[in-house]
Amino acid sequence: MSDKASGKAPEMKHSPGQPAPTGKEPLPANKPGGASAPGAGGGAVPAKPEAPANPNDVSLTIDGRSVTVPKGTLVVDAAQKLGIEIPVFCSHPKLDPVACCRMCLVEISGPRGPMLQTACSVPVAPDMVVSTETEQVRAVQEANLAFMLLNHPLDCPICDKGGECPLQDQTMRYGPGISQLVEPKRHKNKQYLISDTIVLDQERCVVCWRCIRYLEEWEDKPQLGLFERGGATLIDIQPGKPVDAKTGGNIIDICPVGALTNRVARFAYRPWEIDRTPSICTHCSIGCNLRMDSRTHSVRRIVGRENMAVNDQWLCDKGRFAHGWINDAQRLQTPLVRKNGNLVAASWSEALEVVASKLQSIKKTSGAESIGAIGSAKLSNESNYLLQRLFRSTIGTNNIDHRAGADVAALPTGLPALVDLMKPQYGPDPKADVVMLVGVDPSEELPILDVHLKRAVRRGKTQLIIVHPRKVELTRYNGPYLGCRPGSEALLINGIAKLALKQVQNSHTAPADAAGFVADATKEALRTVCGVDVDEAKRAAELLAKAKNAVIIYGPMVAQGEQGKQVRNALTNLALITGHGSRLAYVGLEANSQGCRDVGLLPNALPGHAPLSDEKLRKTLEKTWGGPIATKAGKSYSQMLDGAGSDLKALYIMGANPASERPAWAAKLDALDFLVVQDLFLTETAQLADVVLPAVSWAEEDGTFTNLERRVQRAPKAVRSPDSKAASDWMILDHLAARLGAQWPFANVHGVTAEIAKVIPAYHGLTWDALGDQGVQWDAAAITRAKPTMQPVTQETISTDGYSVIGGTVLYDDGDLFAKTPLMQNMAFGAAVGINPADAAKMGIETGSLLKVSSAQGELILAARVDPSVRAGSVWIPESLPNAPVGALRNGAAVPHVEITPGPKSAA
Amino acid sequence: MNRADLAAMAQREQDRQDAFRCRVLCCASTPCLSSGGTAVREAIEKAIKDGDLDADVQVVSTGCMGPCSRGPVVTLKMRGAEDVVYEQVTPEAATRIIQEHVAKNEPVKEFVFPNDAPFFAKQHKVVLANSGQIDPESLEDYVARGGYTALAHVLREMKPDEVCESITRSGLRGRGGAGYPTGIKWDLVRKSQSDKKYVVANGDEGDPGAYMDRSLMESDPHRILEGMAIAGYAVGAEQGFIYVRGEYPVAAKRLERAIRAAERRGLLGSRMVDSQFNFRIDIRIGAGAFVCGEETALMASIMGKRGQPVPRPPYPSQSGLWGKPTLINNVETFGSIAPIILNKAEWFAAIGTDKSKGTKIFALAGDVNTTGLIEVPMGITLREIVYDIGGGIPDDRAFKAVQTGGPSGGCIPAQYLDTPVDYESLRALGSIVGSGGLIIMDERSCMVDVAKFFLDFCADESCGKCAPCRVGTVQIYKLLDKITRGAATLADLETLRELCVMVQETSLCGLGQNAPNPVVSTLRYFYDEYEAHIRKHKCAAGVCALNEKPMSPAVVAPPRPKRKVARLDELEAV
Repeated sequence: MSDKASGKAPEMKHSPGQPAPTGKEPLPANKPGGASAPGAGGGAVPAKPEAPANPNDVSLTIDGRSVTVPKGTLVVDAAQKLGIEIPVFCSHPKLDPVACCRMCLVEISGPRGPMLQTACSVPVAPDMVVSTETEQVRAVQEANLAFMLLNHPLDCPICDKGGECPLQDQTMRYGPGISQLVEPKRHKNKQYLISDTIVLDQERCVVCWRCIRYLEEWEDKPQLGLFERGGATLIDIQPGKPVDAKTGGNIIDICPVGALTNRVARFAYRPWEIDRTPSICTHCSIGCNLRMDSRTHSVRRIVGRENMAVNDQWLCDKGRFAHGWINDAQRLQTPLVRKNGNLVAASWSEALEVVASKLQSIKKTSGAESIGAIGSAKLSNESNYLLQRLFRSTIGTNNIDHRAGADVAALPTGLPALVDLMKPQYGPDPKADVVMLVGVDPSEELPILDVHLKRAVRRGKTQLIIVHPRKVELTRYNGPYLGCRPGSEALLINGIAKLALKQVQNSHTAPADAAGFVADATKEALRTVCGVDVDEAKRAAELLAKAKNAVIIYGPMVAQGEQGKQVRNALTNLALITGHGSRLAYVGLEANSQGCRDVGLLPNALPGHAPLSDEKLRKTLEKTWGGPIATKAGKSYSQMLDGAGSDLKALYIMGANPASERPAWAAKLDALDFLVVQDLFLTETAQLADVVLPAVSWAEEDGTFTNLERRVQRAPKAVRSPDSKAASDWMILDHLAARLGAQWPFANVHGVTAEIAKVIPAYHGLTWDALGDQGVQWDAAAITRAKPTMQPVTQETISTDGYSVIGGTVLYDDGDLFAKTPLMQNMAFGAAVGINPADAAKMGIETGSLLKVSSAQGELILAARVDPSVRAGSVWIPESLPNAPVGALRNGAAVPHVEITPGPKSAA
Repeated sequence: MNRADLAAMAQREQDRQDAFRCRVLCCASTPCLSSGGTAVREAIEKAIKDGDLDADVQVVSTGCMGPCSRGPVVTLKMRGAEDVVYEQVTPEAATRIIQEHVAKNEPVKEFVFPNDAPFFAKQHKVVLANSGQIDPESLEDYVARGGYTALAHVLREMKPDEVCESITRSGLRGRGGAGYPTGIKWDLVRKSQSDKKYVVANGDEGDPGAYMDRSLMESDPHRILEGMAIAGYAVGAEQGFIYVRGEYPVAAKRLERAIRAAERRGLLGSRMVDSQFNFRIDIRIGAGAFVCGEETALMASIMGKRGQPVPRPPYPSQSGLWGKPTLINNVETFGSIAPIILNKAEWFAAIGTDKSKGTKIFALAGDVNTTGLIEVPMGITLREIVYDIGGGIPDDRAFKAVQTGGPSGGCIPAQYLDTPVDYESLRALGSIVGSGGLIIMDERSCMVDVAKFFLDFCADESCGKCAPCRVGTVQIYKLLDKITRGAATLADLETLRELCVMVQETSLCGLGQNAPNPVVSTLRYFYDEYEAHIRKHKCAAGVCALNEKPMSPAVVAPPRPKRKVARLDELEAV
């Protein structure tokens, strides 16, 4: 295992990657005046205090103790290294200093004697002498706290922050106890909504600017500002413009008082009553670290948790607020079995008995090939590993897959490392000098990656190249933007490869046979077929050719179906020509997209991305699993669903809802001989099932998830309803396996984790305990892959009929889980279709008009959403919209074409 | 345009002026205009027309002549005679002046402001040399009086480091108030390595009662431009900004015209004065915030941000506008540059005291007979200013105190009237020279009320960024108000003193750090007055209402243990 994968991120607050400080080692002659004048005759006395060994380090004295820290460190951080706390309000380790709260004033000796200076804004200097505990400093701290409290309401008993409030804590520790100032307090807005989920109390605010700075420095969306002046100063939004930054909720975490509170969690907890579980977020594949605060079996709120390798300490608003589904009343509480056409409550033994006997009889009559299993990238490694073990070994089929599984042209190892794209407050520039995003919109799909990239561009030297049919938010950073016609990505990428080939001709990086594979992608083709500006493509090619460490990222939107394979081929060509082959990454968008593939939830691979023909691994697995493994490649997700009811007789679906994707699939699922659905809710698919098994979520059972950079992270159990009979995935599968004749050795889910750590080479040693709180990245080199070579690329003809559909997902998608947090529903995309203003004008429609969107396969009625980011001639219909299965139009096409006609007039 | 062209232009203008037998200079600065200057000028023009004197007499609108309380002021320059200054000129008087003095050479005695009056005699005009003498909207007039020759000389004969060195030798210190040595500041910016540098003139004069900068910008705009261009050459900047207070539209207009005129003649802009040096100047108008006079807030405002200060270091000389080294000086400082270059540093250094060289402009206001704009050598005593230049207190009332440095300064009582006015002496008395406001107060002023006035101003003008200033100034104001209402106790006085020191010690920028100064200095010199308000419910000046009673002791916060704070001890020792 490489260094990268060797475990915990360093426990350093401000400067990851900096050399460890020498800490408490006493440094000689560090006092002021310790430097005697250099002896003219070269006497024995050393002339200067011993400088720190590293020239980039600085030694100083704080409260009589020496400390050596890297140059540029702020005094407040240097003190922290010695364990000396300097109280602060405005200073924050992830934000630029403003020095406005004045709480951190300490005495720093200068040429004019000791002077009060703000420790949060003054960088260390050699031989600086700092005193943090003099009478003067104490007096100043008392005065400043008196100033802060003067207009601060004493409503701690009803304030959400009470109990974990820095203002409370510091008042107790540094405050005057009594204030001489007795004038009436100033009144401002209370319970003031700055977004649907964030409440501002301007009276509690101490104007520390942390929220303003977060939105400016990280989100690059200055949506909060200071208004009025002097004593009347307050923080506010622009009139009528609520905070809509996708990660705006982070300002709640960093507010040092109770001014910004979480509306979803409001009044639902007291900090001293909650259990805090360090966990991760499962809304997307970043795997942000979070803390789940719970009480009496329910999740009360979610806050960010620092992991300098993943999310710094930020969360997106979906991860923070959209947790209503965990404790939703509609959760399945008991198994259901279909009797006389109706699903009725049953006992676990009855339900499992039905499943086991039915599967066995179908296997007997139609063969194992007629049975399939669908897992889910939303579920843990353990759940998915056991599902494929059950069906591969005990049932004996390779009909195992998940959505966006074998149907997309993926690559096995994900991102090289997220840290390569991150620019923390203190630390070097990100390693990636160019990031190319193909068919990925981080702002909607991976919001924390969006934050990282914005920082990397603005504070590092990273440049972005974006290929996306929609002019996504990150295009505002002026990198080359290629808004190609949907479906023409393969040709475009190959075209960029061709342009890059000219750039790198003099170096030896490009494969010798490269020219032949990119010959078709002429400038003319780029112009006419892809519809892009060739000069932009040239800019992109130049950047990639010159880059030292370009990272190329593509997502499921462009990787689907046959054309998806062509896109992957083209990207391989581009990466080979520009020399970034090892940093070409496919990122799935679900929490465990990577892990699903790793544990073998694929019809054509064994766990650990091994081909079905890998005899060595097969032997190990057969020995561990106690039985033979099917050798014939199975059917993919879409093949299984398309064949449901004909060549497939039975399906076991865990955590997936294909019936909601396409009406055609719903009909086919209905035609199955036997359908089992294991899920949290009675989904559209579950309603068709013969047996429904109630499962528990990631918050209710231990599990591990692997994020898009192969970091395996723990999500421990935080809550569990005592009333529900719902069971963990692993336990359901374990019981079912027993009824099918297999004897599994697991006492708890950690046993499954341990087995994964044993049988999958890349996961060796990654047991529950070894993962720790910060997760471990598995080493990409643990997978043997054929050396990539240049690939032929064919571009299918793109239909010019009607409008082409741009897919992708949106953050606030109104999917099954998101819909369970009512406070966020105003933010949802809704049953809508994005349309270019020019097209809208042509048809005389405006935002809100209803449109009929139809294809040969079906039609939908959607509200228009006039959006200049949508390419003319195409429409934007994200996936998982409520009551609007895009699948109704798709019928398997990667880029369907639709007709748009003005729909029925709305009643209003 | 080169030096020869410049000289030719000066000669042409001089000849043109000499062709007139008489020149009538009408003050067209704000105070004289507001006391009827426009009507006076019209009357003069009409009288000239009626008397058929057009060919003989030239009427010129000029900047400020000084004795503002005696406006409108008109100066008569007769060929071959000494200048005569007329004060409080009415349109009727103006007609008489033309008819009698101009036409018949018989001065209208009752309106003459004698030239040998101490108001003029005690002054030493260096920066104001052209004020009231030239038409501020005429480049030629400025050139005729030697304008732009210093710039031409510098560009031709001196290297940047020599310019800085020369300014350092002159002993010029920042006229904005802090008194930082100008030459050293220039040299710091010169030595900063950067692809771009900026020069900024601070014309955001906001102290109540002070109008030196306005007057200079209105009366002699080219002088500031010339000083800035010299500075730009010395530090290596090619772009300058003048930040003009929003309430000074006339100043902004005249500066704008001056810039255009200078650019048209090649005295500013690309390859100016036939050299390889380029320097552009743009004007930025403030929006009424006092704190924008603070240099970091001013720069934030220039950059289009909310006008709020940021902590120093880094100083503007390292990282100012858009992160580039920036030289920022007061307009009066820039006004002093050309004379220093022309007359040599030693000449300037010979004026003033040992540590404070040269002259300083003050705006004399309050209870004196002649208020107005004066320029005096550093080291002159307060008594000379009040009694000689200002002509003493009206109705022979008793002098009580002079407030120097505006709301950031302090008051100086009668016993220190013989203190020389320089940076160090005033600081020793707990006040500052500041930008140059002098407010004279007589026995009718209540010092608690005066302090309250200034604190009201500062609390209102606090930008709200740092807690001590945002909250503390309001608290100080409320305590002072309590005293003037009669509701205070002696414990409040303790709190007040402590509060002042804490706001001074902990505030982020100069506004907050100096806001309590008026309170601290009145506490220092007029403690009795405070005590009389509280103990005896008595306001000697009869200003305060004192119509309330203190709260019952139960509502008053109990005392708490004292911390040892150096500044507080210092204050209590007095």
